[in-house]
This record gives sequence, C-alpha cells and structure tokens, in this order.
Amino acid sequence: MSQLEAIEKQRKTGPGPASRHVKKVLKGNAAAALAARLCRVSFVTAYPITPQTSIIEEINAMIARKEFDATCVNMESEHSVFAALKGASLVGERVFTATSGQGLLYAHEVLHAIAHMRLPIVACNVGRPSYPWNIWADQTDSISQRDTGWIQFYCESAQEVLDTIIQSYKIAESSNMPVMVVLDAFYLSHTSENVYVPEQQLVDDFCPHERRTSDRVDPKDPKSFGGLVDPSKYDTYNRAHWEEMCRIEEQTDAVGREFEQFFGRNYGAVEAVNIGPQTKTVLVTMSSITTTARQVIADHEDTGLLKIRLFKPFPKDSVRKALDRTAKDCNVVAVDRNYTADREGALLQQLRQTMCKTDRKLFGVYAGLGGRDVSPQTIRNILDIDYSSPDTEEINWIQ
Amino acid sequence: MKPDTDFIITGEQVSKGALSCRGCGWSLLARYVSNVMGPETVYVVPACCFSIIAGPSPMNLMNGTVVHTLFAAAAATATGVRHALDRQGKQETNVVVLAGDGGTFDIGLQALSGAASREENILFICNNNGAYMNTGVQSSAGTPSGVRTTTDPSGKATPAKNVMEIIEAHNIPYFATASPAFLRDLQRKLEKAKEARGFRFLMVDGPCPPGHKHEPAISIELARIAVETRFFPLFESANGGIEINYFPQKNLPVDDYLKRQGRFAHLYSDGSESRAPASGQDSGAHANGNQTRETSGKNQEMLNAIQMQVDQQWEKLMGKQTVSKV
Repeated sequence: MSQLEAIEKQRKTGPGPASRHVKKVLKGNAAAALAARLCRVSFVTAYPITPQTSIIEEINAMIARKEFDATCVNMESEHSVFAALKGASLVGERVFTATSGQGLLYAHEVLHAIAHMRLPIVACNVGRPSYPWNIWADQTDSISQRDTGWIQFYCESAQEVLDTIIQSYKIAESSNMPVMVVLDAFYLSHTSENVYVPEQQLVDDFCPHERRTSDRVDPKDPKSFGGLVDPSKYDTYNRAHWEEMCRIEEQTDAVGREFEQFFGRNYGAVEAVNIGPQTKTVLVTMSSITTTARQVIADHEDTGLLKIRLFKPFPKDSVRKALDRTAKDCNVVAVDRNYTADREGALLQQLRQTMCKTDRKLFGVYAGLGGRDVSPQTIRNILDIDYSSPDTEEINWIQ
Repeated sequence: MKPDTDFIITGEQVSKGALSCRGCGWSLLARYVSNVMGPETVYVVPACCFSIIAGPSPMNLMNGTVVHTLFAAAAATATGVRHALDRQGKQETNVVVLAGDGGTFDIGLQALSGAASREENILFICNNNGAYMNTGVQSSAGTPSGVRTTTDPSGKATPAKNVMEIIEAHNIPYFATASPAFLRDLQRKLEKAKEARGFRFLMVDGPCPPGHKHEPAISIELARIAVETRFFPLFESANGGIEINYFPQKNLPVDDYLKRQGRFAHLYSDGSESRAPASGQDSGAHANGNQTRETSGKNQEMLNAIQMQVDQQWEKLMGKQTVSKV
C-alpha cells in the first residue's frame, strides 16, 4: 500500500505528523469502530447484521470500558437505526452507525430523508449482496443506494477505512451531506492488517465537530423540520443539493490534501497508477480488488490502474483527466463487483456517462460477485482478454 | 366523574388557521396537548393527518419544535431526538410523538414496541380515528369491525387490533385512553403522562367527520357516546394494573354510536345502498337488535358481533381492574 509506505518512510525520518501514530494489527471492522471513537461521535445506533456486527460490538465494548463517551442504542431494525440517527443529528450530535446488505436495503427510505434533510451523518456499510442469501463481498447493496443523495467512498484497506471515516466527517459537516463509507465483507471487514492509528489530538485538530448550519432543533427556538414542500419550491431543494454535490469531488481532493498535512497519507477522489501514453489497458477498480490489481499490473508495463475511491458523486473530472493521458486506442476495463440487473455493472455505467463524448473503447467485467475471490489469476484472466478483437464482448463474466 | 368541558387552555400554543377539517379531533388535541406540554417540547410527527395540520414547510402550527418524520419511524426518530437532547443537558425538554392509528397500530408498531421496550423517555400519543384518513379513508388495523372504508367496501370483517394490550405487555410506567369529550380526564392524563418518566402512551379517540361520515358539529357528542356505549372505554395504568376511569351509568347499546355515522350506515340498510344517517338524529336508547330500519341478516350478525366485541372488551377491562371506583 502506497499510504503505508509513505508513513513508514516518514516515521523513520523523525518527528512530524506521520510519527504521531501507533501501529496496530486491526481488522477492517475494528478500524471503523476506532475511527468513530477518534472522531468523538456522541450517538451511535446499532442493529446486528453479518458481517458488520463486530463494528457495533466493538463500539459497545469501548463504551462499556469507558474508553468512549457516546450513547449507543440497540434499535429494533435498520430502518429505526437510521431514523434515530436522523433525530439525533437534527438536534446537532455527531452520529455514526454501520450496516450491511439487507440492513442497508431496509433503511433505504430513511437514507433519502437523511440526504435531503442535509444531515451530516457518516455510516459504514460492509458490502454484501441480497438474494440468493449471501454474506460475502459484493457492492450491490450500496450501489442500490447511489441515487439516495449520499456521498459514497469505497475503501481498499483497513487503513483507508479508518482514514476515510475521519475525512468523511469533515466533508459531511462542511457540505451538510451524509457519507457512506463502504468496505468489502470479510476481505476487509474480517481481515487483519497493519493499521497506523493516529493520536486523538491529531484527529481533534483535523476534524473538530463543526456544523456549517445553525439550523437544528433548539427547544428555546421552536421551528418545524421536514414539512411538506409544494411543487413551486420542491426543486429548489434538489438544486441546492445538486450544487453541493457538484463540489464534492474537488472537496474530496482538498480534504485529502489537508489530511496528508496532518497524517502523512494522501487521498483523492481517484488514484491513477501507471497511466500514460504507453498504457494499452486501464483497469478501473474499487475496494480491495484494487490491491490485487496493483500487484498484478506491477509486472505489466503497458497496464494501468484507475482506482475509484469516491464513487458518488462520480468523480468525472478526475477520471477524464486520468484517461486523457492515454492514447486513443487504450482499452478501459471496468471491474464490477455489483450486479445491477442491467446490461452492465455500475462502474461501467458511470464510465460510459463520463466518457460519452469520446470514442473510448470501454469494456466491463463482472467479477467477484457474492464474494467470489478475485485472485491475481483472475486479474490476469481479465487482462488476457483480447480487447482489440472485434469478437470480444463489451461485457464479460469472469470466474 | 361526569362528562365535562372545562379543560382550561391556560397558554395557547397553537396558531390560528390549522389546516384541519371542521370538527377534527386532531386540531383540538393539539391545543390540549401543547397547553400541557408547553413550548419546550419537540413533537415528532410521522405521516398522518397531523403532518398536514401542522403546516407545510416552513410553517409551524405549534409554539414548539415539530420534527416531521417517516411513517414507520416516529418512535425511532423520537429516540434519537431524546438521546441527543439528553446529551446536551436538555432532559427537561419533552419529546412527544403525535401519530395516527396507521403510524401506531400498523407501520409504526415495530418502532413503537422497540422504543417502549427500551424504556425511552418519550410520550407517544396516538390520535385514533380508526382508518388511514389522510389518504382518503383506507382500513388500518385500528379500523373497527363493520366499518366501510375505500379498501373494505363491504365493511371490515375483523375487529380493531387491541393495541392497548400490546402496550400493556411492555410494562411501561404510564398508559391511558382519553377522549376529547372528557376534557378534565384528558387534562389529568396529559399532566400525568408529562410528569412520568420513561415510555408513556396515550390513545385518544379521534373524531373525523369526513372519515366517520358525520356532521362536524357532532364530533364531540359522538366521542361522548363512544365512551357511554363502552365502544371507547376510558382507562389508565400507572405502574401496573388497570383503572377504569369512567363507568357509563346507562347500559346504552353500541347502536347508539354506530348508527349516527355514515361509516356504519350500510349495516342499517338492506344492503342495496349505503346512506349516511342525518346528523342530530335522536340518540335515545334502542333495544339491542331491534332496529328502526331494515337490517339484513348478515348486517345484523355484524352488529351483534360488534356489540359482543364491545362487551367482551369491557369484561376484560373489568377483570383487569385493580382499583375500583364504581
């Protein structure tokens, strides 16, 4: 991981922001729980669902050990989990929860309400699909929420989960937008990795709890929230949301740069690896598949990698900027770990929209659905497809 | 205790111009509730008639905070509001859910049960008008047997869910039924509910002229008859046990309540056409089963069933009584 290499290097060169960390071995879920604590969230709601459960277990355990000053309420459903967050956030608390699969789908209605009441809520989703029953890595649950109005980040490592949650509160509170931080079931949630855990003070300095608006429940100043909006005004709310969404890509990069100054690790909306005029094929990936692809393309000089970290709003400028560096005949292959019941996966759909004014050769690969391992060999199989052949399908299923 | 009208609004907390129908129980209830609760109250309102009555954005009928929320999520949203206020040291702020019967008996029951079992410090008030009135009179689990709604055009075959027994099973510190026709009783219960800590529940009979199909002028009169016929008994429970608060003196048949409302009118016709009885009709006692109009056998069966349900409900309540005030 490039982030880990950077911090290792800086730790060796002496004091600086990057040295103010403790190295721990953590699972992705533990990193998520720890991030919530470091962000000093004060209200958490919980409902168990595999494979998210250890996040809320860990939060409850930290509260019980008095390491964490927060109220955690065990709700009766994910619908209620998000509805209670909505209530607490309206009153002005910094709130957090985690869910997965069916739970996120069940909360769908509330996700819309949260986004369009402009509440800066951060929630983790450990991605898994729906039916047939399956609890393993898949992005179909969160991809199904892409039109709810939430910002979505997809994380590659446990370190990135921790770091992204910290950045998410900053983005959420400065934009009044909710943020969903997505990690892969088991490949991230239950896999132990080295994680650099920052000092509390560093996080406090980076993202103090700051709401951009004073528009919240104040019993001394009665107001009404969320009432009926008639057709003459409704679209003005959408428009305001849209204007903010249009700023998120740039803000993600800005917050990522600021994060680097504090923590020594850089993040952006996307990450381009080995993309230039020599590149013959670009793999476009999200989440932990990216790590596997990194290793494989290291042996392929003509292959680049475009990691999508910010998925919603889709970072069109960053993607265009990266792909514009390649020659016209470069093949772009989206690796989709989500089945959208459409011809192509979500990543390919977004790429098509983004590159619609070009004559880019775009291909899509369905891989890793329902947790099927995307091994280095899988990546090699994807690269072995002859994309220049007229017989090659635009959409390929890879096992 | 006698029927009374002397609920004194000491500090009006509701603006003029509520968007309710004439004769609506909700708008009256809002005045009584807010008078007792005072301005430092957060009202959490799921989809129901009151979402409209409270005013469209950014209007606010109440001198108090109104948080509109999703149909299924009233008690859950209130949970979040409550804990956040507590963390900010605002334990004295009241958190009050104002929900209809759909948001209580049906889609809201899961969240209601969750909040009650967690002993959340909130007051849940259900204005029970016995159907989905806001969407145009569709059956809910709170719709009584026999009622004709747009989704039960032949009349509802099954009785209303006994939500009070579900609430009772949660062992909460205070729950009660109340009626806008018994104002002193309503006031006392609101004060008691406000004072108690933990999860509190009030079920208030909600007259609804367009849904129940009667003249707005007789809303309160009908609410009184509902209590007098034991169709809507008044009782409460503070820390275990049930206390019946009003014992009707006359043994009035439930017909006296039913036949004055268009929602039951089909039970009193020969079945060919429904007809809302005129308002102000004499509500004098009728012998059970001896109707003044033609009633088909099937309808008579339903009327008997309703009377039996009312009798059984009363018997059950009497059996649960721990304090007698006869």
